[in-house]
This record gives sequence, structure tokens and C-alpha cells, in this order.
Amino acid sequence: MTNIRPDEVQALIDTFDASAWNEMRIATDGFELWLAKDPSARDRGKPVPQAAAAARVDSVAGEQRKSPIGSSAPGEKTQPAAAPDNPPAGHIYLRAANLGTFYKAPKPGASPYVEVGQAVQADTEVCVIEVMKLFTPMYAGVRGIVSKVLVQDTELVEFGQPLFLIEVTE
Amino acid sequence: MAIKRLFIANRGEIALRVVRAARARGIETVLGLSLADKGSLAHQEADRSIVIGPAPARDSYLNANLIVHGAKMTGCDALHPGYGFLSERASFAELCENNAITFVGPRSETIRMVGDKLGARALAKAAGVPMVSGTDKINSAADALRIAAEIGYPVITKASAGGGGRGMRVARSADELQASFARSSQEALEAFGDGTLYLERYVERARHIEVQVLGDGAGNILHFGERDCSLQRRYQKMMEEAPAVILREAVRRRIHKAAVDLLAPINYRNAGTVEFLYDEAREEFYFMEVNARIQVEHPVSEAICGVDLIQLQLAVAAGEPLGLTQSDIHPRGHAIELRLLAEDPARDFMPSPGRLTAWDIPKGPGVRIDSAMFKGAMIPPYYDSMIGKLIVYGEDRPQALERLEAALQSMAIAGINTNVPLLRAIVRHPDIKANKIDTRWSERVLLPEFLNNIER
Repeated sequence: MTNIRPDEVQALIDTFDASAWNEMRIATDGFELWLAKDPSARDRGKPVPQAAAAARVDSVAGEQRKSPIGSSAPGEKTQPAAAPDNPPAGHIYLRAANLGTFYKAPKPGASPYVEVGQAVQADTEVCVIEVMKLFTPMYAGVRGIVSKVLVQDTELVEFGQPLFLIEVTE
Repeated sequence: MAIKRLFIANRGEIALRVVRAARARGIETVLGLSLADKGSLAHQEADRSIVIGPAPARDSYLNANLIVHGAKMTGCDALHPGYGFLSERASFAELCENNAITFVGPRSETIRMVGDKLGARALAKAAGVPMVSGTDKINSAADALRIAAEIGYPVITKASAGGGGRGMRVARSADELQASFARSSQEALEAFGDGTLYLERYVERARHIEVQVLGDGAGNILHFGERDCSLQRRYQKMMEEAPAVILREAVRRRIHKAAVDLLAPINYRNAGTVEFLYDEAREEFYFMEVNARIQVEHPVSEAICGVDLIQLQLAVAAGEPLGLTQSDIHPRGHAIELRLLAEDPARDFMPSPGRLTAWDIPKGPGVRIDSAMFKGAMIPPYYDSMIGKLIVYGEDRPQALERLEAALQSMAIAGINTNVPLLRAIVRHPDIKANKIDTRWSERVLLPEFLNNIER
């Protein structure tokens, strides 16, 4: 094995766990990792059998695992509790970049940055999040249409909590 | 003012311990956790949890602004920092104070004072508590010899301008000091551009003895006896016991009094620990430092005193009276704690994160496990490797050791590597049974033997 550290593999697993993705494949020089959330899923990418891929993770982590990571029971996953199920096809969740207070408008009484049905560009400001009087804007990040606003104005949002459902238009 | 809702800014076993202690006092809990700790036992048991940030501690457990913002927005009136992370950062306590959140710990000014080496030494000096005798700067071998004769051998030379072992030499006689002084001075000069040395009395075969205290913030300080934490590896404690059976009763009373005298003048509030170096040969103790937080090893003191220190911590933070006097506290029996670590002692203590496929822990009379682990739990690689604490209580030290050995035999943890094999070697070791150890014993005796036995 090359220079992949256990914590790096763990970071990949966590990223995958927290994501809406069903599968993830990473291949670099001398290292391949395939992860899936569906226990019956099979690797359809390069011819690396699931058991072999899982075994690589195990040996990187320096431990003997009884079951491959890809087949862990749903209850054992570290899914964000606040995250609903995967977004509908063609949509993405825009998630809070940090914990803080969600503001939909620049000031009380002003019209919100975005409303349901509105078209957004990647650089469209969609809300601000406040932490101890420090206000940080968030941007849509994709071109699309706002389908849902998932939190209330001035609500405390967690890190990673879905704020908007956006229908991606490209 | 009674605490209604407590924010817990920590993880692992201590977060769970605080959740349960708060619940026992009718206090609601809000856990602030990182994304990596979703699904933890503390998460399952807290009344509410919020994700304060991603896995790396600097973006979650060490981010004071996110934590205090989360505490305010969830309507918490108090915050428990646990140990580690932000628990002894004065600026964090101050941020809580400025946002009308009761910090379950000392006042920020207290943390600032005792956290500063010179400040703590000034407190000890004012209270007449002994410290390892040291000297001012020494410029010549002749001065060194004269002063060493006053301090008494062995002495150690240290570089005035820096640490890291440069200029450090132990001298056991005047001849040795005469021979080594110039070399040490030269070494310091090369390393730091300054050859000035100072001398300290060197304590050979030192023990680590600490006193558990609790202050109400109004000048009342109680102690809950002492602990012997001499079994360490690279200054990390491996095993802690209470009481320290090597102390004669007269010395024990003196060390308790020293701890109380040191903290009473500053109206210390919170649980705390005063750490001492103990010279077994001379039966003398020397102040090292104050830990202004609850410590990992607090359960052994709870076991012998029959108290809940976390609940007492919550009480004094809320300004409630102690409800106890020193004469109510009667240490009885013997308690030992071992730290369970997700580390492989056979491979240079390499961390071993992963998913637990078995977590069969012992139960029985006098056995307590403080842990947030369960079968299927994920041990993330981002944090401390401690996965739990095994605490046993017995009528006396031999019985506690017997129970410890039995408990370790019936423990089955799988999916990760742990230090359990080393812990088994510890409790079986004749030096442990005879209580003939010091703070360097593990490096000098235990680990070489342990590794040798693995190889064969």
C-alpha cells in the first residue's frame, strides 16, 4: 500500500456516509476504494470484487474486520439525523456550511434573497448564516430553480443541515 | 441560580457521563457534536443534539464561537466543557460568562491564574506548599557545587534558555557535577546561544500523587482524598488508584492540606486536581500543577468517597451550597482505574480506529465501566484513542487487583486493536502487586518485558 493513511480512508468513508450518494469509487496510484450504501450493490466499475475492495480498507486501517464496510447495517451508519432521504432525481440539497442562525433576508422585513420557484445561478446569494454576530453569505453553487425552502427564518441550523431543495437545470 | 438546560461541548464517555449526571439532577441536555459523532450513545441519550461542525476538532469541538452560539440558540443557561478540548481555556470560559451562560468550571480569571506556570508557583509559595527546590541562574561550576551542597544530591542541571533535554544532566555527587557542568553549559550554549544553567533537586523514582478537590467559589474547599497515578507512559497516565497506599497517614493529611491551602485563597470554584511529585525515599511531596477541570480518573475518588463529582460540579457552578463538609467524606476501600485505548501496544501504540464488532465488557460486584462504546460503534480516527475506563472497587488493594484481573479476563473487544493485552500484563505484574513502581517504571520494566514476551 502506498501513502494512504487510515484517517484519510476514514475521512472518505465519512464523506460518503454524509453524502446523498449511493456509491463512491476512488482510484489513485496503488489504491482503490469502492463504497456502497445498498448491501446488495455490486461493484460495476473496474473488476475489483467487493470483498477485495473492502479488504483493502481493512488492511489500511490495520485491523481485522468481520464484515466489509459496504455491508454495514443501516442503523450503524453515521448519517446526519437532520438530513431527509436522498433528494428527488434532478435535485440537490443545499446544506448549511456551518452551524449558525439562518436568515432568509438581508434585514428584517426585507424581501428574501430567494423564493420558491426562483431561478438561481451558481453565484446567487441564497441566505446568510450568523455565528456570534458574524454573518456569512451562502451561494447556490449550481444553476437551477428553488423547489423548497426547508428551514424557517432565524432558525438555528446545524452543520450540514439541508436548507434548500434545488432543481438542477443543467 | 439552578441550571435548567445544559449544553455539553464534548464527546465520548465524558459527554455521556455528563448527560446522565444532568438527567439525575433534572437538568435538560443539549449535546453539541461533530458530524463524526452522530449516532454516539451521548447523541442517543441527550434530550437534543446539534451538529456543530465536521469531524476535525478545530472545526467543531475546538470552535468556541460555534459552540457558544449553539448553546445560546438552544436556550441553554449553562455549559459543561468535559475534559480536554476547551475545558481549560480561559478565553472560552470568558466567552460563556459574557453571554450569560454558566460555565461549569472555574471563573475565567481562575483558569488564567492557575494555568500560568509562574502564577501557579506563586500560589504554592504563598500557601507554603513545597515545590522542587530550584535555583536562579548559575554561571560557574564553583557556584553550582556550593548550591548543590545546600539542595542535596542528586541534582539535575537544566538550560535556562530552553528545554528538550539540552544541558540536562543528573549528577549524583559533587564529582559528577564538577565533571558534567562545563559539558552541559557548552551544550546549552550550542543549542540556545546561552550557556546559563540552573539546578533542581532531582527526584529519583518519583511517584505522581494528586488530590481531588471541589471548591464552592466562596472559599470553601473540600478534598476527596488522593490518587496515585504513577503508572504512566510518556507522561500519559495508564492506571490510577485511590487511595495512594504508600503514604503514611501523617503525610496523607499534609498533602490534602497543601491542596486545600493552595486553592482556598483564590476562592476556587469547580472540581479540580492539585498534582504533586512524590519522593518516596524522603517521604516528601512537591507541587507540580493545578488541573482546573474534571479529570479522566475522577471515578476512583468517587468510588472510595461515595460521591458523584459531576453532579457536585453542576451544583457549585449553579452557586448552590456544597451540602457537604469535610467530616462527611470518609474514603473507604480501594479503587483502580485502567484506561482502555484503541491502540496497539505491540506496534508502538499505533491508533486503531474502526468499527467494534464485539464489545463484551465485564459486570460484577465493584466493577464500573465508563464508556460510550457499543457493538457496531464506529471509533473515528480524529480524536483521542480512549474508548473507555474500567474501574474496580474492593475492600482493599489486593481485592481490587483481583477483581481487575478477573474483569480483564472476561473482556472481549473485537474489530479493533486495543491495549487490553498490556493491561492484563500490568495487573499480573509482581511489581504492581507489590506496589513498587514509579513514573518511569513502564518504560524501564513493563514495556520491554511485554514486547519481549510477544516476540517469543
